[in-house]
Amino acid sequence: MCQSCHVRTVSTYRTAERNSRDTGEGAAGLTTHAPQASQSVTLPASLDEAVAALAAMPAAVPVAGGTDLMAAVNSGLLRPAGLVGLGRISEIRGWQYQDGHALLGAGLTLARMGRPDFAALIPGLAAAARAAGPPQVRNAGTLGGNIVTSAPTGDTLPVLAALEANLVVAGPDGARREVPVSHLLAGREMLRPGELVGYVRVPLLHAPQTFLKATGRTGPGRATASVALVLDPARRGVRCAVGAVAAMPLRPLEAEQWVASIIDWDGDRKLVPEALAAFGDYVAAACIPDPPPPQDGTEPQTLPPAALHLRRTVAALARRALGRALS
Amino acid sequence: MTGTSEGAGAVTAPPAAGDRSGGPAEPPPHGLGVSLPSADAPAKTEGVFPYASDLWAEGLLWAAVLRSPYPSARIVSIDTKQAVEMPGVRAVVTHADVPGDAGHGRGVPDRPVFAHDVVRHHGEPIAAVAADHPDTARLAAAAIAVEYDILEPVTDPQLAFEAEPLHPDGNLIRHIPLHFGDPEVVGETIVEGLYRIGRQDPAPIGAEAGLAVPRPDGGVEIYTASTDPHTDRDLAAACFGLEPERVRVVVTGVPGATADREDPGMQLSLGLLALRTGCPVKLAATREESFLGHAHRHPTLLRYRHHADAEGKLVKVEAQILMDAGAYADTSAEALAAAVSFACGPYVVPHAFIEGWAVRTNNPPSGHLRGEGAMQVCAAYEGQMDKLAAKLGMDPAEIRLRNVMATGDLLPTGQTVTCPAPVAELLRAVKDEPLPELPKDTPEEDWLLPGGLEGAGEPSAVRRGVGYALGMVHMLGAEGADEVSTATVKVSGSVATVLCAAVETGSGFSTLARQIVQETLGIEEVHVAGVDTDQPSAGRACHGRHTWVSGGAVERAAKMVRTQLLQPLAHKFGMSTELLQINDGKITSYDGVLSTTVAEALDGKELWATAQCRPHPTEPLDETGQGDAFVGLAFCAIRCVADVDIELGTIRVVEMSVAQDVGRILNPRQLRARIEAGVTQGLGAALMENLRTTRGQIRHPDLTGYPLPTALDAPDIRIVKLVEERDVVAPFGAKPASAVPVVTSPAAVASAVRAATGRPIGRLPIRPQAAVAQQQ
Repeated sequence: MCQSCHVRTVSTYRTAERNSRDTGEGAAGLTTHAPQASQSVTLPASLDEAVAALAAMPAAVPVAGGTDLMAAVNSGLLRPAGLVGLGRISEIRGWQYQDGHALLGAGLTLARMGRPDFAALIPGLAAAARAAGPPQVRNAGTLGGNIVTSAPTGDTLPVLAALEANLVVAGPDGARREVPVSHLLAGREMLRPGELVGYVRVPLLHAPQTFLKATGRTGPGRATASVALVLDPARRGVRCAVGAVAAMPLRPLEAEQWVASIIDWDGDRKLVPEALAAFGDYVAAACIPDPPPPQDGTEPQTLPPAALHLRRTVAALARRALGRALS
Repeated sequence: MTGTSEGAGAVTAPPAAGDRSGGPAEPPPHGLGVSLPSADAPAKTEGVFPYASDLWAEGLLWAAVLRSPYPSARIVSIDTKQAVEMPGVRAVVTHADVPGDAGHGRGVPDRPVFAHDVVRHHGEPIAAVAADHPDTARLAAAAIAVEYDILEPVTDPQLAFEAEPLHPDGNLIRHIPLHFGDPEVVGETIVEGLYRIGRQDPAPIGAEAGLAVPRPDGGVEIYTASTDPHTDRDLAAACFGLEPERVRVVVTGVPGATADREDPGMQLSLGLLALRTGCPVKLAATREESFLGHAHRHPTLLRYRHHADAEGKLVKVEAQILMDAGAYADTSAEALAAAVSFACGPYVVPHAFIEGWAVRTNNPPSGHLRGEGAMQVCAAYEGQMDKLAAKLGMDPAEIRLRNVMATGDLLPTGQTVTCPAPVAELLRAVKDEPLPELPKDTPEEDWLLPGGLEGAGEPSAVRRGVGYALGMVHMLGAEGADEVSTATVKVSGSVATVLCAAVETGSGFSTLARQIVQETLGIEEVHVAGVDTDQPSAGRACHGRHTWVSGGAVERAAKMVRTQLLQPLAHKFGMSTELLQINDGKITSYDGVLSTTVAEALDGKELWATAQCRPHPTEPLDETGQGDAFVGLAFCAIRCVADVDIELGTIRVVEMSVAQDVGRILNPRQLRARIEAGVTQGLGAALMENLRTTRGQIRHPDLTGYPLPTALDAPDIRIVKLVEERDVVAPFGAKPASAVPVVTSPAAVASAVRAATGRPIGRLPIRPQAAVAQQQ
């Protein structure tokens, strides 16, 4: 291309290889990402090894699918001193049955959870996993990663909240403790240094579950609001959680109790449309409340139009979710 | 000619025979009117096509640009000491290191290379660093201590008139008061509307990147994906204080360009750093820098009043158009001229009073993006046509048909439309196309409802709407811009080469150039050489310039070569060159007496010819917005069918039927691809693309915060009619095709959503709360 200097074009894929051969200096000049991160990557083969690796290097960050973490690293927001890769721990990549519960490995990918066999088991979680981003993200992203990242728009979180799932947390020296998922998401109980989420214990309810999500586009997108709803016929309960409207999934407990009380659990479990709509409005008003009336007796404030729309969206989603669960 | 596409994925057919050369044993496509595949398609598919970010030079340094985090601030001090002292840092440049003119800019040189006294927008470059590692460069840029005195930004264009001047040139970039007809006329029916168009980003697939290499003569070469290399070269030379000959811009592979590439802030930084260090310097922008650095579509506020008689014939249009140019003028004056001139759309309007302003704010800079100006007004005037139809109880397509313009009608600028304007034919074509069937007979789970496959859509809440829009754009630069292109054609042996500085942005110019030479010279193997500024200028790659002027220049040069080739033979056989034909490398005479090959006729010689193409001149709009400002116009009609979930306000566009005025089809597959791409870009502007700012600060400069249409969002795009009415002043009679679907499709989507919800859709992109049916 240019005679006076040595400009040449090389393909993206061959750059590193050619550079290291030509200059003998390695590919350090080409990666735009923190090279020191590559210095201390450990790839443990079991949960206990992973915990030990974290204990040995407390500044290291565990990484599973990396769909959130590596984006933060690449944009320079995070420069982890080391990485503990969880991808080779086969014990947390599947699930098993345990006294009426499913023990889901934290390394289950969203793609795996979206498959029909999993959907037959926990349909709500499968629907959320299928809605969580494009296939590339679902193939890499994991259940544990979704929980630990705790993004307000994490799609599995409202389902786990509605299922009242428990996390099995692995600690040093083979210690295991259980933490309700809502406690972790609300910050009531945090992971201690050196701890990892190993499994998620989810009750098997053998009843319809729904997950509905409103997004800005037809293609994959982050939720503007989502509603997860599960029926628990054994306990005659309806549990509902609303995602993406707050920092953590919200549970409208009063609306749940009310609707559970009017369902004919021994009959066809059908509700009239008015009852479905009332449930929707109940949920929406609980999750997006009106501003408190002013003490000084002045005109009460109204919600801004965007919040009103969000409330209408939640109401429609909750109504549809209940209707589909009961149909 | 009527062509019907299979849908959004029509460009998947094998590159065997073109549409007009059917049959299995046909030779490969050849010449004009066939679907010749692009020469670089295999390399692009395999991932080996070199873009600017793939460039490499021995011993190169990496650059990083420090950008302002504030939209408006006074710079108290810039301390680069800490950055300079960092190990691995080779140079830090600020405004003090700019040797030449401190101002640059595509339209008006009102933009400093680096901000020094004031910062006028979020992301304005302040300094640049060269270091031996990209991370070092970024860390060093972050280590430059800049003390800001933060000022209140002017972000509402309506307040820019009264605000303190943000720039020595003032806040009013251009004002056009267009007066056409009698201001006293009043129609029987009057509708008013307020429209607001958001800030679309070109969001190119490949972010900005470049490599600058110092030359032994003290000059510099800049390798980048520029779409206007000569202007960029001149700007760079002025900033570096060098003669233009000592700066060379070499155009690399362009990774997507629907707007002006590249970010001058990046190119100029690279050049300065290369000159300073004596080393090659490379920069590959992150997505965030890309959003901060390049120009966006003008956010526009439009107020309209349409007057019509009882039959729905337009009587008068009054409009006020306020375009937010952002911090620097860029090409805002051109965009405003287009907006004001096309404010009434392709309709006959006897009286028009349009007032347009482009004003300076502290928002991100606006500039060229396909269909600028025309797209914003299209959304507004089509909204008005829908309002008028509703008020008069008329069919929206019928009221449009009563008003459409044709060849011979006047634009509100007083210019007569002399080119083909088959607007009525286009509208009838989309109107008569059968509507897509409702998915009522298919299983419910197969419906693609608004919100997507795993979305919350519920069939009972989904309403379907059908909307229409007619759009128009001008082609080539307007208002007296010198539109000229120069091309050289060389023939040697059995190979022809085209040298032309027209940048292939994906618009298909290089394929078209090959087709033109094949057609004229009958030579199969045609190469298109790379572009750099050592060649004569071909102008900016926008407004369909290269299809028209560069294509015309290539054709003329090829014809000159043809004459040179055939003249001796014709002379020898005593006939004129017109009686000789070239086909498949063979020269034959009309009577078959003469038959020889091109190679024999050449006899080892090389033939060169250089030609220029310059369309007829235009004139600037005068102080009342009158003048023959445009070389040519292109039109498009789109019918949009959209499903709206009226409870959630989610929208899915089901189908877009397009009829377009193309003059002549030069490459059917490429043409379809361009139309489909344009329609989809317009769909993005209608439904989701809006680079949001809070008090002048870009909130989410990434592709999560700035969603683009995906394959699931892109509708079935049916090209129902391509009207081939040749434009006699255009080379080959062809009209550039990329911009007009971008202009028309947002208005069509808004119209369909209006029909589905009954809500006035006045704002683009359409927000979900605007598409929710009114609560009873």
